[in-house]
Amino acid sequence: MSKNYQAIVIGAGPAGSSAALTMARAGLDVALVERGSFPGEKNMFGGLLHRMPSLEKIFPDFWERAPLERHIIKKGVTFMTGDSSFSTTIEAGSFDKPPYNGYTVFRPRFDRWLAEEAVAAGATLITSSTVDQIVLKNGKIAGVTILGRSGQLNAPVLVAADGVLSFTALKAGLRKPTFDPAQMAVGVKALIDMPREMIDERFGLVRDQGFANEFVGCTEGVRGGGCFYTNYDSLSLGLVFHLASLRTSGKTPYDLLNAFMEQPQVAKMISGGRLLEYSAHLIPEGGYDMIPELVGDGIIVAGDAAAFCNATGLNLEGINLASHSGVVAGEAVIAAHRAGDFSKQGLTAYKKLLDESFVIKDLKQARNAPHMLHNNRIYHEYPEMMCNFMENIYKIEGIPKQNVTKLFLKSAREKVGLGNLLADGFSAWRSL
Amino acid sequence: MNIDEIFDNTSFTIDREAHIVLNYEICTGCDNRGCVNSCPARCYTWSQEEQKMTFVHDGCLECGTCYVVCHKNAFTRWRYPRGGFGVAYRMT
Repeated sequence: MSKNYQAIVIGAGPAGSSAALTMARAGLDVALVERGSFPGEKNMFGGLLHRMPSLEKIFPDFWERAPLERHIIKKGVTFMTGDSSFSTTIEAGSFDKPPYNGYTVFRPRFDRWLAEEAVAAGATLITSSTVDQIVLKNGKIAGVTILGRSGQLNAPVLVAADGVLSFTALKAGLRKPTFDPAQMAVGVKALIDMPREMIDERFGLVRDQGFANEFVGCTEGVRGGGCFYTNYDSLSLGLVFHLASLRTSGKTPYDLLNAFMEQPQVAKMISGGRLLEYSAHLIPEGGYDMIPELVGDGIIVAGDAAAFCNATGLNLEGINLASHSGVVAGEAVIAAHRAGDFSKQGLTAYKKLLDESFVIKDLKQARNAPHMLHNNRIYHEYPEMMCNFMENIYKIEGIPKQNVTKLFLKSAREKVGLGNLLADGFSAWRSL
Repeated sequence: MNIDEIFDNTSFTIDREAHIVLNYEICTGCDNRGCVNSCPARCYTWSQEEQKMTFVHDGCLECGTCYVVCHKNAFTRWRYPRGGFGVAYRMT
């Protein structure tokens, strides 16, 4: 099999399908190559789908059209230590009115839908095909070879949307040969079956309302955190670990996940449910400083492949950045076709458009957050301090009480140290 | 979540051809072996007695953790499975 296209997009995730969709709508003959037997088969996701400015522009009816689950009206944070936890939640009226702020979503369904929209616009979807090598002709990019289905696909320009490890970007010399474990995290997730009515009742939800919660202090001192999401009739419960911390901890992701699921407050959330699926994937958490070369001669890098993931602690964004970068990549390829110039220079519109968008602006603004989050105290001492403080506030033992300030200082001194508290507060304020 | 029962919870189409191949000699001389505890699918096991690393690609979740935590570059091959093979998430 050898076929000629005007562009090849590698990876049918949100970045790749958005790129293929954009190009196909402009009339380009584009191949969308996916290693799964269907788009979304290889995706793992523990997050929310927030506003999607670029797709909302392409589909004015995006929110009715896309296969989504519940819209999030209630968001919480839980500080956990041993068998105690302290939670705060916000339930806002505005979260329950369209345009909704965030949705839970099943990626195998969502990614398949988005790729099908690209196909409907004229793109050729080639599944079960892992891209192997970049084909060069006279020193210029001319296509790729694939494994699975065998053969070669030809095009003068590639969009590498092949995910966090992007071997395409590596082979094109755009990313470094090794990754820094300090810039990567791994997420593991349990998908738990539960009847819809039970979820509604347990978490105080009606209609299509959903609840999302994040956890700190649930990783036995490994830098990381937990997350919880309600889908229509299932729950997603996961943990994320910074690899630099996990690799030297001696602890395993599945044992930590089990302990998390058995923690008394979490156990109550998921009791009566049944494990349906276990999954794991890397997350590029290094932020702005991790971004590879975005453009080379005949190639653009988008989505996770370009480390477009904004993980500042409380919000985790990826799909929206991926999709926007895909649309912009598509626009840059269209411009390059018009000018007949696929050189790095001819594709620079990509960088320029991204620089002006929320993708680069937000990542730049949160540039110091990844460093701040490498403070081990966040994952152990602070959750302990919060729980200890709240426990003491609510304890009524028939002996004279200390005032709140004294109680706080006592917890802070015992669990964190006052000097650390001041220093950490200052660095958090500076980086956010 | 019992990791021994991973095949009951997650679907795989196993390729006979391994997508990850190790040079075990490098593992034997490694001072960290973070792959053993970090791999979410427990594909790596180290035998202290035999001083030997064993790797099984069957239940690999294709997450990429080992590729990043291995600081000795012990891989003679690290790529994703051929198209159509490997893990198949249905609803994650």
